[in-house]
Amino acid sequence: MSDAATTRPMPVGRKVLLTANLPAGWGTASLVAGAWLLLVLASAVHRADFLSYQTLLAVAFTMAIVGVLAVAQALVGMSGAILDLSQPTALTLAGAVVCQLLGMGWPIPIVLVAGILVGAAWGLFNATIIVVGKLNPIIVTLATNFIGTAVMFLIFQHIQAPIASPVVAWGQGNFLGLPNIWWPMVALVLIVGFLLPRTAYGRHAIAVGGSRFAAQARGISLKKTRFAIFISSGAIVGLASIMFAASNGPFAPSAGTTFQLPVIAGVILAGVSLAGGRGSIWLILLSVGFLSTVPTSLVFFGLSSNWQAVFQGFILIVAVSIDGWRARRLQR
Amino acid sequence: MSIDTADNRAGSGGLDRHRLRDLATGSVSSIAVTLVVVIGVGLSWIGPDFLSQSNLNIIGSFVAVPMLVAAFSSFALLAGVVDLSIGSMVGVSSCLTATLMTTAGWPLAAAVPVTLLTCLALGAINATAVVIFGADTIAATLGMLVALRGVCYLLAQPMGSITAFDTDFYTFTNLSAGPLPLLFVISIAIIAIAAAIVSRSRLGRHVQAVGGDDRAASRAGISVARVRFAALLLSSLGAGIAGILYVGQLGSATNLTGTGLEFQVYAAMMIGGYSILRGGVGNPLGAALGLLVVAGTANILDVQAVSPFYTNIIVGLLLLAAVLLDRLRGGDSYE
Repeated sequence: MSDAATTRPMPVGRKVLLTANLPAGWGTASLVAGAWLLLVLASAVHRADFLSYQTLLAVAFTMAIVGVLAVAQALVGMSGAILDLSQPTALTLAGAVVCQLLGMGWPIPIVLVAGILVGAAWGLFNATIIVVGKLNPIIVTLATNFIGTAVMFLIFQHIQAPIASPVVAWGQGNFLGLPNIWWPMVALVLIVGFLLPRTAYGRHAIAVGGSRFAAQARGISLKKTRFAIFISSGAIVGLASIMFAASNGPFAPSAGTTFQLPVIAGVILAGVSLAGGRGSIWLILLSVGFLSTVPTSLVFFGLSSNWQAVFQGFILIVAVSIDGWRARRLQR
Repeated sequence: MSIDTADNRAGSGGLDRHRLRDLATGSVSSIAVTLVVVIGVGLSWIGPDFLSQSNLNIIGSFVAVPMLVAAFSSFALLAGVVDLSIGSMVGVSSCLTATLMTTAGWPLAAAVPVTLLTCLALGAINATAVVIFGADTIAATLGMLVALRGVCYLLAQPMGSITAFDTDFYTFTNLSAGPLPLLFVISIAIIAIAAAIVSRSRLGRHVQAVGGDDRAASRAGISVARVRFAALLLSSLGAGIAGILYVGQLGSATNLTGTGLEFQVYAAMMIGGYSILRGGVGNPLGAALGLLVVAGTANILDVQAVSPFYTNIIVGLLLLAAVLLDRLRGGDSYE
């Protein structure tokens, strides 16, 4: 697009020197934290009772499933596979299996493992088509999402975990004052964020996302990395599906769609480049926290829930615009 | 294919022969074969009634508006900037037209220009994010898709739908031209014009060049930013016109008008040889044939009272087959 830019020498201006001394991602982190703080302050000034335990509970509850899905989406994005558009299907598919097995009275540990395995199997299914067909993940997952949701609609219209199940009781309970389902999300973000730069798996994923040719030259198998990424991100969606089945009432095969936008927005706000090779998992806590505050704030501003989509959509547009602007500046 | 476009005015005869060969072996011919297969299945399963006038009318009026959307957004796809927001843009256009007509009591003639300008302004937001800021096209227009669906819900409050009936407009959108609906014939004509622009005019070659290789295009003196900005505006304009036509066809707008249209249109266009990830490929004729394949399949299953979800499964499988075929033909392979 800007062919003149590629030949321009690296600027050694004040900005570059400034950022060089700080940990990566600080700019993104302070931007998101600032936006979050601004939102909280504005809501609190408008209605002082915004700063309440109820708000905290609502925000933490919203964060849980979005956060877990965002970790899975971030792995896909960092490895250069852009986006997994079939997350909604994976979520409701694994969630439906969990509900069904619970209803059949299977022991809970086995049901939980089954939910995660279904998610992983869905990732394997996607990865197989992508790797064998050498097809772009975004189109493959667009198609498999469409097919998967349609197949589920042929089988069931609504499904729900048995109300008497301990899993449902867990999904609606609190621990240390915060929702039970919030804790696995935080643990997952911290663990994956810690392990990613410190394991061969994570380094390979980021290397492939940065430049697949350079990664190949270093002897990293593209195929193995693709399989590993999609299977593990699928397993993480499987974990989200357990939390989803535990905390939601009856849901339709298309129920996962509502998560898609907040998840993608959360990943991009966390600084994960859709071009791959860049991003921090830990920042997902900030970005998803910010996005999950929006619905509650809207309620306090007296705006109907229809405004939620409008705000989330425009936040995503602004986020990707900033992301694109920054990527261009880095190129120069 | 057309990277050397700007200076390629000599030897257009050779180029034409080249194009004929492309047409015979390329994506348009394989989608044409698929359409023949669909018609064959329709005739053998439903019988001659599949091509009866009433059934052709049903298919034609079902596919007319999506085809119009495809004709306009084909330029954005060609230029390498997919616009996912068209489904909700159609919804906003419908809801806004209906609100202006019913709630505000405006005549249709006043509601139409205001609606179209609004859609162009929304398209300009897309274009600003994508072209000026360099935002990822899929993510930015996905954001617009969700935001505008929210706007639809807000406009259609509190009933979820707005009745807006204009007798003349209703009559116009339901007119027939011979055995086919007039709107369908108009859409086909617009597709033909778009196809002519793409393959015959300098403008079309510029758009293809920008989508094929933006660096080469900008070296050849084409303003990449201007072409892409215009292509995104055109796409939102097409969605705006489509939304207004839906008000005419249906006599009302709902908060769900246009939901999923973006997938319907782009899946059909990808089946017809376009790519949502790579510009410079595809022909509006392929898009029209792709839409007819999808509409024909849906119609067969509908007449046979098979669950409509099978249509989605078939469309998904066709989509995978189409991108695989494209890759085998030498398109981008992803590793």
